[in-house]
Amino acid sequence: MMPLDAEWYDFRDFGNTVGSLLEQIRDWGAPDWVPYVISGLIGVLAILLWTILSVLAFIWIERRVVGLMQNRIGPNRVGPNGLLQPVADALKLLFKEPITTRNADRILFWLAPIVVFVPTIVVFAVIPFGERMVLADLNVGVLFLIAVGSLNTIAVFMAGWSSNNKYALIGAMRTIAMLISYELIQVLVLLAAVLFVGSMRLGDIVDWQADHAVWLLFLQPLGLLGYIVAGAVEMNRSPTDIAEAESEIVAGYHTEYGGIKFGFFYQAEYLAGFAIAAVIVTLYMGGWTLWGLEEWVPGWLIFLTKLYGVFFIYIWSRATLPRLRIDQLMAFAWKFLLPLSLVNVMVVGGEKLLWQEAELSSGEALPLFGVINSAVAVILIGGWAWVLGHQRPERVAHRALLTKELGTIHFGEPAPTV
Amino acid sequence: MTVQTEPFVVNLGPQHPSTHGVFRLRLTLDGERIIDADMVMGYLHRSMEKLAEERTYTQNIPFTDRTDYLAAMTGNLAYVIAVEQLCGIEPPDRAQWLRTIMCELQRIASHCMAVGIFANDCGAWQTPVMHMLRDREKVLDLFEMACGARLTLNYMRIGGVSRDVPPEFMPTARKLIKDLPKKLDEYEDLLLENEIIVERSRGIGVLTPEQAMAHSVSGPMLRASGVAWDIRKADPYAAYDKVDFDIAVGVHGDVYDRFVVRLAEMRESVKILEQALELIPEGPVHAQLPTATVQPIDQPVAPLAIRPPVGEAYGRIESPRGELGFYLISDGSPAPFRFHIRSPSYINLTPLKLMSVGGTVADAIVILGSVDIIVGEVDR
Amino acid sequence: MDDTGTVVAFYLLSALTIAAALGVVVVRNLVHAVVSLILSFVGVAGLYITLSADFVAVTQVLIYAGAVSVLILFAIVLTPTGDRGNQETFLRLPALLLALLVAFTLGYVAIDTDWAISDREGFQQTASVIGEALLGKYVLPFEIASVLLLVAMMGAILLVRPEGAVEGE
Repeated sequence: MMPLDAEWYDFRDFGNTVGSLLEQIRDWGAPDWVPYVISGLIGVLAILLWTILSVLAFIWIERRVVGLMQNRIGPNRVGPNGLLQPVADALKLLFKEPITTRNADRILFWLAPIVVFVPTIVVFAVIPFGERMVLADLNVGVLFLIAVGSLNTIAVFMAGWSSNNKYALIGAMRTIAMLISYELIQVLVLLAAVLFVGSMRLGDIVDWQADHAVWLLFLQPLGLLGYIVAGAVEMNRSPTDIAEAESEIVAGYHTEYGGIKFGFFYQAEYLAGFAIAAVIVTLYMGGWTLWGLEEWVPGWLIFLTKLYGVFFIYIWSRATLPRLRIDQLMAFAWKFLLPLSLVNVMVVGGEKLLWQEAELSSGEALPLFGVINSAVAVILIGGWAWVLGHQRPERVAHRALLTKELGTIHFGEPAPTV
Repeated sequence: MTVQTEPFVVNLGPQHPSTHGVFRLRLTLDGERIIDADMVMGYLHRSMEKLAEERTYTQNIPFTDRTDYLAAMTGNLAYVIAVEQLCGIEPPDRAQWLRTIMCELQRIASHCMAVGIFANDCGAWQTPVMHMLRDREKVLDLFEMACGARLTLNYMRIGGVSRDVPPEFMPTARKLIKDLPKKLDEYEDLLLENEIIVERSRGIGVLTPEQAMAHSVSGPMLRASGVAWDIRKADPYAAYDKVDFDIAVGVHGDVYDRFVVRLAEMRESVKILEQALELIPEGPVHAQLPTATVQPIDQPVAPLAIRPPVGEAYGRIESPRGELGFYLISDGSPAPFRFHIRSPSYINLTPLKLMSVGGTVADAIVILGSVDIIVGEVDR
Repeated sequence: MDDTGTVVAFYLLSALTIAAALGVVVVRNLVHAVVSLILSFVGVAGLYITLSADFVAVTQVLIYAGAVSVLILFAIVLTPTGDRGNQETFLRLPALLLALLVAFTLGYVAIDTDWAISDREGFQQTASVIGEALLGKYVLPFEIASVLLLVAMMGAILLVRPEGAVEGE
């Protein structure tokens, strides 16, 4: 790890700069609470600045990338290469007339965008961007992430209910059912990750991954897959964007919102995406470490690269995959992912016990566990899908039957396979 | 002990991103299950049938473009066949083959759109639509070469087609049908076995052949239910009795089969086009009409006023959506006495309630997408 | 524990919690009352944090504000007279008097008692201590709570099952 007395201009870790500034303030004889408050303020401002810039950038990036996947150019009119498109979007949303429908619940209608926005940005307070770039290094960091994510449910319900619109209510109910089911999966998957490390502090998890020179995703592939799916549901993104399924219920719980209120929902969706990606990077992909490269390359740069890479996977899945129906999604959570996560927790718990009791060294235990977990993941996913009737006859893809006789009826015949 | 619930009514449309036009569906929902589906149509009613009674037979041809605006060639053709039946006109051979070629190209374009929009209804954010519209653009380029328009084509005339195709049409068409099977393979690769599309469409909206025939359903919907009925084989028109092709038939009658049948029909259209582009003879593209003065053969002709003998005729063809028929009654005047359109979308919508009840809202959208309606045709 | 930061935080959070709790009983609209309730839950979580009980605070947010409040909201939304609101009743004045009496009694008892101050240090890692207690000393209540949850789930499923045969698939 980096020496603790690095210089203030050591931008590999912005914590050095802030730490030097705070020591300077203490040297000037300020009372005790001043450095505390100033460090908090700097952290908050930094997070706000970074998230807003990222959201602006990613509005453009997402639309260009999705456009390229759809064999067309994305926005390229506003500004050079369309780079000012996010600015144009933001300005448009700001200048729109804020309409509140007549029978809407005014207080909740006004409050819902705020309640949606706040939890997603609070998540970034516990994520370590570098060795000393954490705003609030909580002892229960992982649990904090889940708790704050669960506040999203209330916000969605408030938005849907206060719109006084049947579509919005349907969207809100669907979302709550979805979010509650997948919260359970999230908790179980994160529990398995915490079991290996032995601590809920996110800084400890990153340090563990750096010390053992292995990423948790190699050791718990089933957990990663479960969290990727659960995370996609938590942020209401395709293929699980049922709450705002545009082709079904127009815009779900934010149908009645326009102007900057809708801008808040839009931004909160991106922020939630970054939050989930940040959690995946911290927990499963080593956070800001890269097997020693953080000596030369700044840790926060590594972290951001990984975060944007994971977010790209979500953009990719949005552009390509169609949408599941709500009852299929719930069946997937309760019948498929939940048993798998429970078995994952049991297997990981057993491995941890074995590690401690047999007093294996990490060099021989971890590769063994990695291989066991990967094998378990493959067997479980394939086997359980088969048990649930994955490729049963009425779910097999087929082609059309070609015939030359007119007037015959072929209903119920076996169809040519693909 | 049961929980007391109350069904509530939701309006799907008329303004909705997914009802394929201004079409309203009143669903009575119990939670997410549909217990009643009521269709309200007429938002796009333009009183074409009455307007047609004020215009001559040739002036009515652009109307037929606008009923089914995604398959204008077939609309023109059905009407023109009806008038030719009334008058007893026989178009020349080259015209018949050109009609076949244009109808099959139109079928490819329309099915590209239908399949793409179906995947869009399933939730794929316009990616399949964008890819399939790429091929539709190539077909529309061919149409622009032939008649100068892309959507409302106005190409067929009573007694033939309006003009011959320019010399660059044939090579471009040959290139298109050489490239198209590879593209279709690519689409089938991406869409046919996609787990989510299969989950969203297998077993949804099942229509048994007895139900389909009882509701007079036609087109890919009927064929997906297993009934091998195609007007191109049952009542051949244009040059369809001279080409060899198969009828694509589904076996389960659900939404997935309709989608699969449309994909297979595109391949059959390619087969027909290959044969047609080889077998097309040279010759005039328009018949010499008795009521007009003799016009030069190589110029587009527009006879002044056709006065068919008193009588009635029903001309029908296989449009990409089903059996499109025009029923004309003539009283000897230049304008038809009665001009009725048997539109396939309107008739195919009849079993919508039967198919939707018991499913969820998301299923209703997917079923509506699989019926492949054009509201211009439904409301006329 | 006596520095100004903690004291200020305590007073602010207490004021927030009490105001939100008052809002629950005073506000007319039932859904607004539930939102006030959520605010009071978050306030209580903040109070837990001033006592260095981090695990309990986060669990409070997770369970109460995240799940229990959703339950209450659904209960209000799905009942037929859910938009009735807090109605006027002639029992307002007696209820207020009774509440003031109870508050006075409790407050007097709380201020007058000789609270025994523990001289043990606070826990550093509350999560592990709670975990060991739950699975060591208090394992029986833990298991009974899980059985209770199972019974509640089964009851809920039984309530909403459609009449007649179980739906296939």
